[in-house]
Amino acid sequence: MQNSILMLFLVLAALSALVFTFVFISSKKAGMSVQGLSNPLRKRFWFLLILFVVLGIFASVTIPRSPYFLFADENPSRVVHVAAMQFAFIMSEKAIDPKSPVGEASIELPANELVEFRVTSLDVNHGFAIYDQSNRLIAQTQAMPGYVNRLRWKFKEPGKYTILCLEFCGMAHQVMRSSFTVK
Amino acid sequence: MFKRIILSFIAGSFFYCTAAFGQVNQANWKEDANIYEKVCDASITINKGVNLTLSQLYNEKPVLLALIFTRCSGICNPFLLQLKENLQFKISAGEFTVLVLSFDPRDTREDMELLSERLGLENNEQWLFATTGDIEKLNQSVGFNPVWDSTRSQYDHDALLVGINKDGYITKKLIGLRNRQDLAQMINSVNNIFSPSYRLPNKNLLFSCFNYNPETGKNTPGLGLLFLALPAIVALLLVFGISYSVRQKQI
Amino acid sequence: MESIKLRKITSLWILIVLVLFIVNIVLGILMRLNQGEIIHQSPITFYANMTTHGLTQIGIWFVAGMAAVNYLLQRYVKTSYSANVVAMVLTVIGILMLWASTYIGKFHAGWTFLYPLPLKIMWAKWATPMFLGSILVMGVGWLTWSVSMMTQLLKKYPLTRALAWQHFKKNPSTQTPPFILISMITLIGIIACLLGAVLLLAMYSAEYFSNGTFVNDALLMKNLTFFFGHTIANEMLYLGLAVIYELFPEVGGRPKWKTTWYVALAWNCTLVFILTAFFHHLYMDFVQPVGFQIVGQIASYMASLPAASVTIFSVLVAVYRTPIKWSLTNLLFFIGVAGWVIGGLGAVIDVTITNNFVLHNTLWVPAHFHTYNALGNVLFSLAFFHWFFNPIYQGHP
Repeated sequence: MQNSILMLFLVLAALSALVFTFVFISSKKAGMSVQGLSNPLRKRFWFLLILFVVLGIFASVTIPRSPYFLFADENPSRVVHVAAMQFAFIMSEKAIDPKSPVGEASIELPANELVEFRVTSLDVNHGFAIYDQSNRLIAQTQAMPGYVNRLRWKFKEPGKYTILCLEFCGMAHQVMRSSFTVK
Repeated sequence: MFKRIILSFIAGSFFYCTAAFGQVNQANWKEDANIYEKVCDASITINKGVNLTLSQLYNEKPVLLALIFTRCSGICNPFLLQLKENLQFKISAGEFTVLVLSFDPRDTREDMELLSERLGLENNEQWLFATTGDIEKLNQSVGFNPVWDSTRSQYDHDALLVGINKDGYITKKLIGLRNRQDLAQMINSVNNIFSPSYRLPNKNLLFSCFNYNPETGKNTPGLGLLFLALPAIVALLLVFGISYSVRQKQI
Repeated sequence: MESIKLRKITSLWILIVLVLFIVNIVLGILMRLNQGEIIHQSPITFYANMTTHGLTQIGIWFVAGMAAVNYLLQRYVKTSYSANVVAMVLTVIGILMLWASTYIGKFHAGWTFLYPLPLKIMWAKWATPMFLGSILVMGVGWLTWSVSMMTQLLKKYPLTRALAWQHFKKNPSTQTPPFILISMITLIGIIACLLGAVLLLAMYSAEYFSNGTFVNDALLMKNLTFFFGHTIANEMLYLGLAVIYELFPEVGGRPKWKTTWYVALAWNCTLVFILTAFFHHLYMDFVQPVGFQIVGQIASYMASLPAASVTIFSVLVAVYRTPIKWSLTNLLFFIGVAGWVIGGLGAVIDVTITNNFVLHNTLWVPAHFHTYNALGNVLFSLAFFHWFFNPIYQGHP
């Protein structure tokens, strides 16, 4: 996913750079006579229409796949409560008491079954991002004090998954991490 | 001028908010326990002596389980009355059965029938009043711990409402006297209508951007949203104000 | 006399911006060296640098755009010199307060200062009010400046003409110069987001001075933070575009651009989209109602349409097979537009919710931001500076 996003960006960026270079060269070559673009209003209209249609297709394809609708009509087989705090994640299969937050030393989750993470924060905003074994970001949500975000995911590959905080949360933000195992 | 209006608005809301803050519920993290665990399949006896298991009930329709005892001099009565009142309105599209179950072994079927008559619910098909022999296991499976207080001859307990979906999983718990919004969220949850988040019950609702509307099942703008729109609104008013005042001077 | 005073203060603005720009580049290099483990700074120093770098950078390129627009606005209306001075004094005081809070007080809540981080004090106690105060001081200065500019603008152009609404009719009787239209649209947005900052700071101080009896709603505060932060970062680019519309044809020796119905329509639409696009900063907060998330994606997509089909297309049409007197000024403008497009593409990719879900947003967003700012907005301002100090264009000081 990330690779194709990067490729898309690079291709589009290179294309724009080419267009600008081409237009610049055409100006240099123009000599003294103004040739310009014939029928610019019509071309502008077509350009707008194409952009509109492309973006419309993008929106209608991607919006229904947004994370808010993921696995919405299934029952999770496991629930993991996550309380993020400066600078650690407390995770437990039981509800976490904010007054004396205690987590489990290690969390094991089943592969190919629906898991729900109920993510909240005990102090400031944090990120909750799950990275797989090749350090690829596969799913994320934010941890916001006073609210619980429910992130549902099915892990296909067994192994160790890492959790990183992706929202700047103070001086030890860069070391705020945790992990769990999928079997 | 405009700044004064904003400032007085902020100051006013601030005092209102400070006053309202004392009234909100205490943190209730216990509501998050046991979620998505299977409820114990207790055998129960409902009105007219019919014997059932809980699974027969929830397989047909999702169940809202209220745990009470009839001799309660505390929260049970207001709890049931408020539940009844809230459910008089169609607050959610989802369907469900309300099961009022006694956790006191002293309660008999007659006691429960009397309770249903007292609440005026004896002919309401949505409501069932029942006793059970498996109360220990059931209590454990929903995380309910009533404590017997022998000096007062009363149980010390929470007012607990448990939402159970058609597969027998606990989808949501509500502790204490709760409003229609919370109840509507519970009914949605037992009908497996997923909402990607929820608010913790101890939160001050005044400044939040959205409130859950039970009538439609949607989020409606709250006072916080006004705050969010306020800068844009004030900016536009300012533009109109300046435009008007400089025109006046020229004429 | 008036124009000499304005020239002097604009020169002073440019001097301040360039000096702070160099300081900021040094801060950026230090952070990169630290990340590359070539030097070793403590996390607190690093994050204090990050906080200073981000806010100073936003501040200087915003005032650079404002100063340029103020200078060019004098061609059409009489602008207030004292508002300009007030803005400068308050900006300098604000920057000094900001640096005091980050370097003496060790305040390091990030340039987004996301609630409630500034209130979880891990630095000198006075640094939080000092930091919030610095934003307030700058905000008040900029608000005075933009309200004063808008007042002068509206004195000459009635509101509907300033917004070029007469161009929606066939054969409009009067012309609104594009520079006036864009300045007006941008000033409205700037005033809205600065008022957002005032509200945000009021809520912060209510909590700060209530000794724990009043607590804000984290979702509302995050919405307000990005309403302010996203909008001001976006509007500062539009200030640069106003300058392009005014100077690009002039410097190239081409006829002045005219407002047409589609230019008027595009900029009026932009005003609406820019005020709702900020929702895309809250995609990963699932607590934000889904409707708003979708509005965020659609508004962000739509915001790119008028920009692409009107401004960028017009710049390309103006250059394509047309003899232009190229100089550093309009070359910088032209490259700046290309940089803006490339940075904007990165933004459109990330405002797609499904992409946002798998991207490290505290990495991708600064990357997008640096591309469009450093290769776009900064070049627009540098182009203005070059034009401003170039004797060929300034034959009559």
